[in-house]
Amino acid sequence: MSLSPEPEGSVYDLGYRSYEGVRLGRPHAVLSLYFTSLRGVFGFGRHTSSKILPFALATIALVPAVFQLGVVAMAETIDFDLISPGDYYEFVQWPLVLFVAVVAPELVGRDQRNRTLSLYFSRPLLRDDYVLAKMAALSTALLIMALVPQAVIFLGNAMAWSDPSDYLRENWRDIAPIVASGAMISLFCSSIGLAIGSQTDRWPLSSGGIVAYFAVSWILGSILVNSADDGVFRYSLLFSGFHVMRAFTLWVFGITPDAPLEGSLAGNLALADVPLSFYVFVAVLTIGVTLFIVHLRYRRMSL
Amino acid sequence: MTFLATHELTKLYSGITALDSLDLELNPGIIGLVGANGAGKSTLIKILLGLIKPTSGSARLLGFDVTRQEIDLRRHVGYMPEHDCLPTDVSATEFVAHMARMSGLPHSAARERTADTLRHVGLFEERYREMGGYSMGMRQRVKLAQALVHDPRVLLLDEPTNGLDPEARDEMLDLVHRTGQEFGIAIVMASHLLAEIERVCNYLVVIDAGCLVRSAPIASFTERTQVLVVEVEGDISALAQRLREDGLTLQQENGRILVGLDDERAYDLIRDRIADLGLGLLRLEQGRQSLEDLFRTPKTDVDDVALT
Repeated sequence: MSLSPEPEGSVYDLGYRSYEGVRLGRPHAVLSLYFTSLRGVFGFGRHTSSKILPFALATIALVPAVFQLGVVAMAETIDFDLISPGDYYEFVQWPLVLFVAVVAPELVGRDQRNRTLSLYFSRPLLRDDYVLAKMAALSTALLIMALVPQAVIFLGNAMAWSDPSDYLRENWRDIAPIVASGAMISLFCSSIGLAIGSQTDRWPLSSGGIVAYFAVSWILGSILVNSADDGVFRYSLLFSGFHVMRAFTLWVFGITPDAPLEGSLAGNLALADVPLSFYVFVAVLTIGVTLFIVHLRYRRMSL
Repeated sequence: MTFLATHELTKLYSGITALDSLDLELNPGIIGLVGANGAGKSTLIKILLGLIKPTSGSARLLGFDVTRQEIDLRRHVGYMPEHDCLPTDVSATEFVAHMARMSGLPHSAARERTADTLRHVGLFEERYREMGGYSMGMRQRVKLAQALVHDPRVLLLDEPTNGLDPEARDEMLDLVHRTGQEFGIAIVMASHLLAEIERVCNYLVVIDAGCLVRSAPIASFTERTQVLVVEVEGDISALAQRLREDGLTLQQENGRILVGLDDERAYDLIRDRIADLGLGLLRLEQGRQSLEDLFRTPKTDVDDVALT
């Protein structure tokens, strides 16, 4: 406060003072909620224990990048990528999904569990504003998790290259697809995480639900594609979160899946032989539908 | 100025009527909203906040339509819910400042007013601690602080003394009373305890089963509850008999007579009849029934009617 400090030991009753200053609108409230939520995702402003899991998973997502840097550094000048940027998310898909499973139920479940929502929704912001802020916070957190390792690889490769400017000249075109696929994966995981996480205030249920969706659809999709002939089962991968994300990444990088490794995501996608644009459509549709589910969930909630 | 008006406000919950064509028109003040549990108090408050939508009818608070202008309205409203609503793992300072920003206060103003408001509700050093370790009394204070932090024009309090011990309850009622009296913030306070309303409020709205029972200044309720307590030496039944014949309403109970003061002849009549009967007057004084007695009486009347 700008007032002179009160002398210690004496009580000054300044009384209640009215507020004549500005009252900002909804955008201010949304931004505040966004930043508070983003901090909360990584456990800032909360218990130390709330920081452990998010940071552990973020670190694990960084391991392949650090590994690649180590190899590149030791091998001095090998002019090739161990992990190409288009393949990176396949290595870290589990840390990403586990991250969502850990933080999404906390992000939206806490306010339901503590019944804080009636305080939010009796303030000058719409329920959709709340959803928007939470979605943006979760997506941003995931984008950080997705892009930081990619940036580490990219810059590390450039440094280790025989001629860094040469590396940049050859690879700058990768930057746009790296960011685009990272953004899409973030939005895709976040919207699914929120749709499941907002249904209940019991985090074990929603965390389990998020992991189960990705794991079960992945396993079922892989089995169906490999077991059946050219029937409708080819399309089963459209329901698998991991395959949709992988397909989107391939599509953005302009790579055709050619079954390099049997059983890998790309291998299965090649086997299914469904146009990649179908997966892109499914990805966009999933984000839309899940966000609509979140919207309905909050609109119908009676407080 | 009418600050709260409802018109045929109705809320149905899957067959259960929570509010039944409620018509209200109230001026700003410290308004007590009284009714048994399930009478529709919370429902009314939540409709005013836009937390639930009315089935039919309309309501205006501070001149804003509660369903169509809810954002403009909520800028000027503070709400303290009946239930617990505080996260456990943040400090009161952080939480109240966050809620201030949610109400539209800029960052620095939010911090400043948080400090002021928490001091006003009586939270000092403990405001930097996580709220999980707070006592019920402290939690209620934080709930009041978050409702006050953006300097609302009206405060909606739903059972603000819920779960408090007698001492904390007294302090909370004082706080509410001061907030309404000294700072000119209109207050609507719901409670099922008449004694609390009587202490704090200057206007009383009684609802039962979603219907308005009565809406009037507290003073008019207490007028009606004025009684004269009469004790005499001698045949008190004879006195009671004579007074009844004179048309006074009275009750005879263990050796004394309670005479309703709504008849202005009461004092004179009592004096005259005692003199006529030659009784010794032991005691003649004004007593006041509490509001709770008042609401108990009509009920027995109804029972009497039903019996006869």
